[in-house]
Amino acid sequence: MFKLNLKIALRNLWKNKGYTFINIAGLSIGMACCILIFIFINYQLSYDQQFANKDRIYRVVSYWKYVDGEEFQSGVPRPLAPAMRNDFGMLEEVAAIQRSGGIFKVKDAAGLVRLKTAEEAYYIEPQFFKIFDYPWLQGDPQKALAEPNTVALSREMATKFFGNWQTAVGKTLEFKNKDVLKVTGVFEDVPENSSNPIKIAIAYAGYEHSKMKSWRSVSSGSQCYILLTKGSDIADLEGPKKAFMNKYYTDKGIGKEDHFFQPLAEVHQDARYSNFAHKTTGKGELAGLLVIGVFLLITACINFINLATAQAVSRSKEIGVRKVMGSRRKQLMAQFLTETLTITFFALLVACILTEAALPGMANLFKEKISFGLFSQPVIPVFMIGMVLFVGFVAGFYPAMIMSGFDPILAIKNKVSIGNGGGGVLRKVLVVVQFAITVILITGTLVILKQMKYMREKPLGFNPSAIAMVDVPSDSLSILKYNLLKSRVLKESGVRSVSLCSTGPSSGDSNFGNFTYNHSAKDADFEASIKTSDENYLQTFGLKLIAGKTFTKNDNLKEIIVNETLLKKLSVSSPEVAIGKIIQMGGDPVGASIVGVVKDFNNTNLREPIAPILIEKSTGPSTTTLAVKMDTRDIPGVMKNIEAIWNSVYPEHVYDSTFMQDDINKYYESERVMGTLFKVFAGVIIFIAFIGLFGLISFVATQRTKEMAIRKVLGATTLELVNMLNSSFMIMVLLANLVAWPVAYIFIDHWLSRYAYRIELSVWPFITAMSISMGITLMTVSFRSFKAAKTNAVDALKYE
Amino acid sequence: MIQLQNIEKYYANKGVKSYILRHVSTTIQQGEFVSIMGPSGAGKSTLLNILGMLEEPTYGTYEFMGENVVSLNERKRIELYRNHIGFVFQAYHLIDEMTVAENIEAPLLYKKVGSAERKSRVAEMLDRFNMVAKRDLFPNQLSGGQQQLVGIARALAAQPLIILADEPTGNLQSAQALQIMELFRKLNEEENITIIQVTHSEINAGYGNRILHLLDGVISEDLQVVV
Repeated sequence: MFKLNLKIALRNLWKNKGYTFINIAGLSIGMACCILIFIFINYQLSYDQQFANKDRIYRVVSYWKYVDGEEFQSGVPRPLAPAMRNDFGMLEEVAAIQRSGGIFKVKDAAGLVRLKTAEEAYYIEPQFFKIFDYPWLQGDPQKALAEPNTVALSREMATKFFGNWQTAVGKTLEFKNKDVLKVTGVFEDVPENSSNPIKIAIAYAGYEHSKMKSWRSVSSGSQCYILLTKGSDIADLEGPKKAFMNKYYTDKGIGKEDHFFQPLAEVHQDARYSNFAHKTTGKGELAGLLVIGVFLLITACINFINLATAQAVSRSKEIGVRKVMGSRRKQLMAQFLTETLTITFFALLVACILTEAALPGMANLFKEKISFGLFSQPVIPVFMIGMVLFVGFVAGFYPAMIMSGFDPILAIKNKVSIGNGGGGVLRKVLVVVQFAITVILITGTLVILKQMKYMREKPLGFNPSAIAMVDVPSDSLSILKYNLLKSRVLKESGVRSVSLCSTGPSSGDSNFGNFTYNHSAKDADFEASIKTSDENYLQTFGLKLIAGKTFTKNDNLKEIIVNETLLKKLSVSSPEVAIGKIIQMGGDPVGASIVGVVKDFNNTNLREPIAPILIEKSTGPSTTTLAVKMDTRDIPGVMKNIEAIWNSVYPEHVYDSTFMQDDINKYYESERVMGTLFKVFAGVIIFIAFIGLFGLISFVATQRTKEMAIRKVLGATTLELVNMLNSSFMIMVLLANLVAWPVAYIFIDHWLSRYAYRIELSVWPFITAMSISMGITLMTVSFRSFKAAKTNAVDALKYE
Repeated sequence: MIQLQNIEKYYANKGVKSYILRHVSTTIQQGEFVSIMGPSGAGKSTLLNILGMLEEPTYGTYEFMGENVVSLNERKRIELYRNHIGFVFQAYHLIDEMTVAENIEAPLLYKKVGSAERKSRVAEMLDRFNMVAKRDLFPNQLSGGQQQLVGIARALAAQPLIILADEPTGNLQSAQALQIMELFRKLNEEENITIIQVTHSEINAGYGNRILHLLDGVISEDLQVVV
């Protein structure tokens, strides 16, 4: 029976090639997008899931509640790990991990440097490898990192340093030009989908601040993982935590601190906290993609249902004959579902090809190594089978039910009419839903693109173009050479200005601290972003002063520049008043006097409002960057010369630089990705919706041929007939717009609310989406209805 | 009113011409009631379609009210439909989605007749055909004869000079058929409407005043009916 059904299904599909093509095209594109989205979400959810203890592993993170906000921090105070090990009973293991990095040198037997490279490295406690069961190739993880100045390498690093990982153990490395580390172990490379991309693990015992006692100093580089004992619940830790907090946080800061236990699975998915891989994909983004995927599938299914029910009329005779021959309703349904599943299956095959073709583009867009392995990832074929069944039944069930329910006598006489019955109404509702989805996506795309353009073009209050940010080392020896470096770079032709600073005006890393203003008895009730720089900072970045002047050259005078927002928050009436007042930070008894007030500039991405900022004059250890403002004429040439100068000044270090403009563009990576995704998916949905529409209008036109012929001999013009056919579709699309607007408005407004600097939501994206949808509908429908209206009336009016 | 000269119609298929009509020449005056008769495949319907400008002859000239209409553009042809020609079909060809009254109103809409005038004409038609009670019914709620009456009412609503009827009684029982024929005769005699019908029935043809016999695409006989 199934074989027969399949044969008939194939014949029917072949007979109606046009509809089959439309169905397969729409479904396959929709399915390909769904597969892509599934692969991506599946990959994102696979982060950190390879460990045996994954359900018992938590990361300890920090949190502060301030008067005007809160802060989330992935790091913990350095004394936290030993204290927790001591105070909590329900923890099997506690391990600290500290990010570091610097120059590694490998020397050959003669003592000559064979390899010099800057690498990221981590100081790790041996317990870490009890929590995470990394596969070790050589050495014992518990013993390997027990002693100071020992190091374990990933297979890749060991091969890089020593040519062959088998020979690495026992050899030595020089780190930061001072420590000599002995290789005691080699572990398997950490997979890409890992939040802790450890390549070099150095014994924590050798970490210089490992015994630091400060509970107030927290860096995102110091993190802590815990392993819960079997059978205990993370909620049971709340009580001991309270006691713990009271015990160690004795002095009161300006914020109320707390620590949370973050499940391992969320380390990759909670964008509020960073991680060592610098990759988080928020649940919101995943949910957004999921919604788009569902939208796509619905749109494709709607095409299917519409075309199938429309086509049902022309098959009514077959159904009638079958019923008269004794076919039961169930058997008919089985036959129609077989057809649907056959189509869906073909669509899946095409979808696989499309997926394979689109995957590199997608991997590139997300900068992730994702692959489409049918056999290596068994979950993908399972998903695909599930999708085929889902689409087959959702799309096939309703038409099958309608068709198999025809009255056989009417059906044989071809007198079944679906157009006026419930099917017609349902079809209209489905078309409206489909177009509402399309309009929502078009509107969303327009708004995202507009917001991106706005962020690109908004003046930031400083000039980021043609500025190179060159890393400089900040150890005490290197600091002595700052002036030499500065003067040599400045002499280079094409260099306009140079400044040593901690960060540029706009930066993702900012260092916040509390302070007192004008000898006030207590700290200001907010923290300020603290930057340090020399006297050329304002000139280099084109920052504008609204009062006072820039720093003097005299290193002994302690000076500070503040921004407008800081004064506003302090309720200082005018910038001139602030000049000469004293700012004291971190218990400094003398403080620095305010010499200038700088006009507000955006100090980070445009999602955030402008922070209160203190720019301190200093070229001490907080300096990390040499900012070089260049002529735009020969930037590559100038950069090459700067690199040469740098290498001659710091032969022991490794040169690295970025451009200010690139750093700023990186803030909007997720917007760029969202923008591209929306563009692509909106395009796909428009395509699917409109081929569906084309199929439907073809059908309606065929069905109404007789009526059109009658009207024609009654004296209707072609234009009138085209209008008649078009109007019902235009009304549906118009209705879809009305439905879509409020929904789109809610989505868009929610999305825009993330931005402190955002475009005003105007009616234009809505109007544009309406014109696009109506325009394309008009074109699609007119094309077909014009053809129908032109057909010869005689052919249609032949006797039945 | 209608002048056909040397009308030919053939379909060329792989170089072989299959003729439907050959050398058809005739003149039909205003107020005639013409029946076209002949066996199946003689070309009756094609001739009627050419008269109704639904098909174009391959050769020959066709003058309708002194105007050559063979290669008339669509706009002008539609003008003629709207103002002068009414069609009646064997299968009635009413629009299933519209009520009786709406069906009758349809040609008036295309003729751009004002709303008040439309209403009165529809009412007049309904009254004349005794269908006032059925004005809001749909075609599938009527018997075949009633449907054909609506079809004729629709054709008359636009006040045409000529009615072209293709086997108007082909689907009807004889009693109903006689009723339709009586109606045609009445229209022809009282309102001087030219009627051209295709029919198989000698009885129906007897209602008219002229019979054109077609045989294999050629007019074999042109008889005046003497009452």
